[in-house]
Amino acid sequence: MIQSVPQQVASLPAGSHRVGLHPRTRFALLLVAPALLVVAAVYLYPAALTLVFSVAEVDLATFGVDRFVGFQHYLRVLRDPTLQAVAGRSVYFGGLVALLTLVLGFAIALLLSRPFIGRGLLRVVVLLPWAVPPVVSGVLWGQIYAAEYGFLNGFLRALGGEGRTIWLGEPTQALHALIIAEAWRAMPLSALFLLAGLQTLPDGIYEAAALDGAGVLRRFRDMTLPLMMPIALPVLIFQFVAASKAFDVIYVLTRGGPGNGTTTLNYLVYQQAFERLEFGPASATAYTLTILTLLVIGVFVFLRWRLGVRSGETAA
Amino acid sequence: MSLKQGRFVERTVVYVGAVLVFLLVAFPLYGVVLTSLQREEDVRSTNVNFFPTYVTFEHFAEVLRPGHIVPIREAMTNSIVISALTAVVTVTLALPATYALTRLRLPGRRFIIAALIAVYLFPTLLFVLPIYIQAVQWGLTDTFQGLLIPYVAFSLPFTIWILRGFLESLPVEIEEAAQLDGCNQLQLFTQIVVPLMRPGLVAGLLMVFILAWVEFLTPLLFTSDLKILPVSLGLYRSTYDIKIGQLAAAAVLTALPVLALTTLFQRMITEVITAGAHR
Repeated sequence: MIQSVPQQVASLPAGSHRVGLHPRTRFALLLVAPALLVVAAVYLYPAALTLVFSVAEVDLATFGVDRFVGFQHYLRVLRDPTLQAVAGRSVYFGGLVALLTLVLGFAIALLLSRPFIGRGLLRVVVLLPWAVPPVVSGVLWGQIYAAEYGFLNGFLRALGGEGRTIWLGEPTQALHALIIAEAWRAMPLSALFLLAGLQTLPDGIYEAAALDGAGVLRRFRDMTLPLMMPIALPVLIFQFVAASKAFDVIYVLTRGGPGNGTTTLNYLVYQQAFERLEFGPASATAYTLTILTLLVIGVFVFLRWRLGVRSGETAA
Repeated sequence: MSLKQGRFVERTVVYVGAVLVFLLVAFPLYGVVLTSLQREEDVRSTNVNFFPTYVTFEHFAEVLRPGHIVPIREAMTNSIVISALTAVVTVTLALPATYALTRLRLPGRRFIIAALIAVYLFPTLLFVLPIYIQAVQWGLTDTFQGLLIPYVAFSLPFTIWILRGFLESLPVEIEEAAQLDGCNQLQLFTQIVVPLMRPGLVAGLLMVFILAWVEFLTPLLFTSDLKILPVSLGLYRSTYDIKIGQLAAAAVLTALPVLALTTLFQRMITEVITAGAHR
């Protein structure tokens, strides 16, 4: 990315140095200021306020700080086994959604990267879940998972099975049902990112390898996979971050239940803040989720680095 | 295995894969459309039908009838207004910012760009909590402005990111030539850069419109008044107690505008998304 800003080209009118800023800089500031003001008001200020709330008890009458309690809210997440389970579930949910979309997305990208009849149609269909409103996604997966008249049970009965499972009625099943629903909606972005990556791979080496007698599978294992690794990692991280922030699908399908079997940290923030009006703990949970997300990203990057070192790969 | 056999196997794998992917991705959508077109007693039957033997539009007629508990017509109008406004305001804010951040000399430019991406790492609720408090204190809940502010704010970093991709792909020489021809900074921006960015602006408007349409958390917290209820929340309201067929019909209506836009502009959306992957 080369920035070529031709500073010498602009001839400056005399006396334009009054404020001490280069006039081009002043113009740039003017252009960027409205957007930055919005960002500061809606991201920076709230993030700071939530940080303060996270070490305090919030007075509900004034929405001000009642008293500071130190890291008590954070420590609760570390000590309380229920909250530990919620945190673990968050990572599991995010990780599995990310992994599913990566594997599915890669298969779809491989498919779409070669010509076949109907590819144009499939490209459109594969993109659609991305634009499905999450609530609609909730409704349609609700119909799939419904116990009595649901499509999944109907399908199982058609295959000769019992087909009586209440999919959203048991915590572990419900969690995985949500993971599948969320992965369905998140898959298009993975597929498109990976497809774009596949298209950047040089054709020449494939032809050379094919001439050398390397079969489809060998070319895939020895060339496509290693070449795609640098693209897979950002996709994995992107999807993990997105999935750990999943809210709508949980709200619409299970409301965090049964019990708290599908409650993730992000959903807990909502419950604490807007169902129980515990703004202090909610803020601490929100920051815990952020820290946890960063930690997991760190692990991803570290693993990738270790893998790179072991295979003797030189850094790109 | 000869080359010919290999080709045959490869082609078979591709077509089987294509059919599988199609079924996997499209079935949930097909299921909800099917449900919306069947009579309630057949929808609730444990004898699940995967192929329709008839089609009825009674659920659509019912849901679109004025005074229905799911105010889907009003909610759709609200959503069109809110989403279009969000798109216009967001792109208007993002365009000059993108230009400054991409082409002009600006102190802390790299930091600002990094910060715009970094906000994505934080859960949205972390920002929503204080905004909600502020909205309550200023009486902004249940108002259009109260919805518009978070909508615009939450799509702004993403929009700058999209527009930056477009601007970076434009050759800077055009701008340099215009400067040599005596364009001042404002003219350069309004008369050279903005027209060149037009395809990017259309893509930006489209993406923000879609994202605003599907937004759920903000209206859930910021609105309760039926008058400004956006469609996603309107649909959610209907999940309480309503016929399943009607719920499916409402869901189809909610998704239809954005799915139609996505189908129409599939190429453009794909390009925007994959342009991001190259960076």
